[in-house]
Amino acid sequence: MELYEKSAHELSAMLKNKECSSVEITESVFNRIEKVENKVDAYITLCKDSALEKAKAIDERRTKDILHPLAGIPIGIKDNISTKGILTTCASKMLYNYVPPFNAFVMDKVADADMVITGKLNMDEFAMGSSTENSHFKKTHNPHDLDCVPGGSSGGSAAAVASGEAIISLGSDTGGSIRMPAAYCGVVGLKPTYGSVSRYGLVAFASSLDQIGPFARNVTDTAMLYNLICGHDNMDSTSAYREYPDFSALLNSDVKGLKIGIPAEYFGDGVDEAVKEKVMGAVKELEKAGAEIVNISLPSTKYALNAYYIISSAEASSNLARFDGVKYGYRAENYENLTDMYEKTRSEGFGDEVKRRIMLGTFVLSSGFYDAYYKKAKLVAKEIVNEFNDAFTKCDVIATPSTPSTAFKLGENIGDPLKMYAADICTVTVNIAGLPAISVPCGKIGKLPVGLQFIGAKFDEQKLLNTAYALEKIIGECKVAEL
Amino acid sequence: MSIDVKHLAKLARLRIEDEKLAKFEKDMENIVNMVEQLPQLDGDASGLDPKNPMILRKDEIDSCNIPRKELLGNAPKMQAGCVVVPKTVE
Repeated sequence: MELYEKSAHELSAMLKNKECSSVEITESVFNRIEKVENKVDAYITLCKDSALEKAKAIDERRTKDILHPLAGIPIGIKDNISTKGILTTCASKMLYNYVPPFNAFVMDKVADADMVITGKLNMDEFAMGSSTENSHFKKTHNPHDLDCVPGGSSGGSAAAVASGEAIISLGSDTGGSIRMPAAYCGVVGLKPTYGSVSRYGLVAFASSLDQIGPFARNVTDTAMLYNLICGHDNMDSTSAYREYPDFSALLNSDVKGLKIGIPAEYFGDGVDEAVKEKVMGAVKELEKAGAEIVNISLPSTKYALNAYYIISSAEASSNLARFDGVKYGYRAENYENLTDMYEKTRSEGFGDEVKRRIMLGTFVLSSGFYDAYYKKAKLVAKEIVNEFNDAFTKCDVIATPSTPSTAFKLGENIGDPLKMYAADICTVTVNIAGLPAISVPCGKIGKLPVGLQFIGAKFDEQKLLNTAYALEKIIGECKVAEL
Repeated sequence: MSIDVKHLAKLARLRIEDEKLAKFEKDMENIVNMVEQLPQLDGDASGLDPKNPMILRKDEIDSCNIPRKELLGNAPKMQAGCVVVPKTVE
């Protein structure tokens, strides 16, 4: 077994026992990248020289200091997370040359833990999309079937971990952008509780929904990386004030007496029968291990997608107003006056999906339409929150499919925004309610993985990780895709 | 509902090329027709979470240790330490 195929916690133990060096791990990952990146296209920017330099420095320090458990482990970063001195493009022409002068909160944590940054990962432009096909730079391929999309918007983050081009990675999730690609690529992806991970330095899409979270090939690594990035930050006014447990130390696969809620609304017409079967098959395994299945109802789910696209686009139209060609990024070459510069810069710098979302947001917030769209959507959001609160009085975690189908073919949905949006149907409610949720692999249909989503009560990541861990013990960890 | 894409684009400081206008109009109409399917609910639309209230930090200056040159280093056009823009007042 090559080093790039191993998990972060295995490598961490090997580093501690001096069975390998960080330089060897980093070289193994970059050799894998050289071998398969031309097929997968997960990265926008590679940082090989700085990664090897960092790995060497950590190996030297390890001889005299006690280091963080994640020290020397290579990590890939979604390209909308600000990395000081490293290009951060959001996969947009608008930021094709943007080099942040500061680190995101999570990147300071990654630096403090002495992790090795492999590079910046591909995504849908400004995290808007469900297939990573909206990237200005390249299309990422699903490592399990290169004709299929990796999901989105964090498609690069999921594909890199699935293909062995990264040991672990960070992504962001506004409506499913971690869980959906995790499901399509057969890896674990955690969308943390809103407020548990600072958004400082995450290029904003929809500020009330955005959250950074980890990708890994197993639950233990997911817990390790979540441990590192959660915590309060003064630079994010929505960051929660609270203490967090050591999620890794408390990882426990005992599900005896655990109540798993099954909401009928997530197993309806829009979801493939084969996906439902895989998900329920996995839930039955947990039942055999001692969990109890409880039927619950979340009736407002049918309005969630509509409310989500109104709220997220409204916030996006305001957040993306900052891209005007003045302070950073792209500026049109020829213009006659200020307005002309704004319009040309934004028209040439943004792709079509970003333009659609900005215009939808502008529309729902415009005079005369606010009550009919935005206010109604916010009231639906409140109803969704109430229904989840009620559900968690009857169960500990909720199990649903992560996506209504397995990965679709590249090009299949790109011409039809509504078909693309429908891929988010199982994930958007979680962002609307600010809850944590994890997607774990629960089998395959043909070559393609199926994801099971566990949803938890606010700040109850431990229960989610434990449930996912129990399932992983039964059905096994995911392995690097053969390419 | 028919959507005036040209007007929306103007409000959002965007321009849609003429050859793409028809496709944008169709897509925007489909999207709006989808998202407007919402129930009539009453109440206060603010979404505060009393169990995890947002606590604002004190309005104090926190020293920024990023050098001016680095902060301005991403601006597309600079002159004498200032960002250059077209004339803003006629």
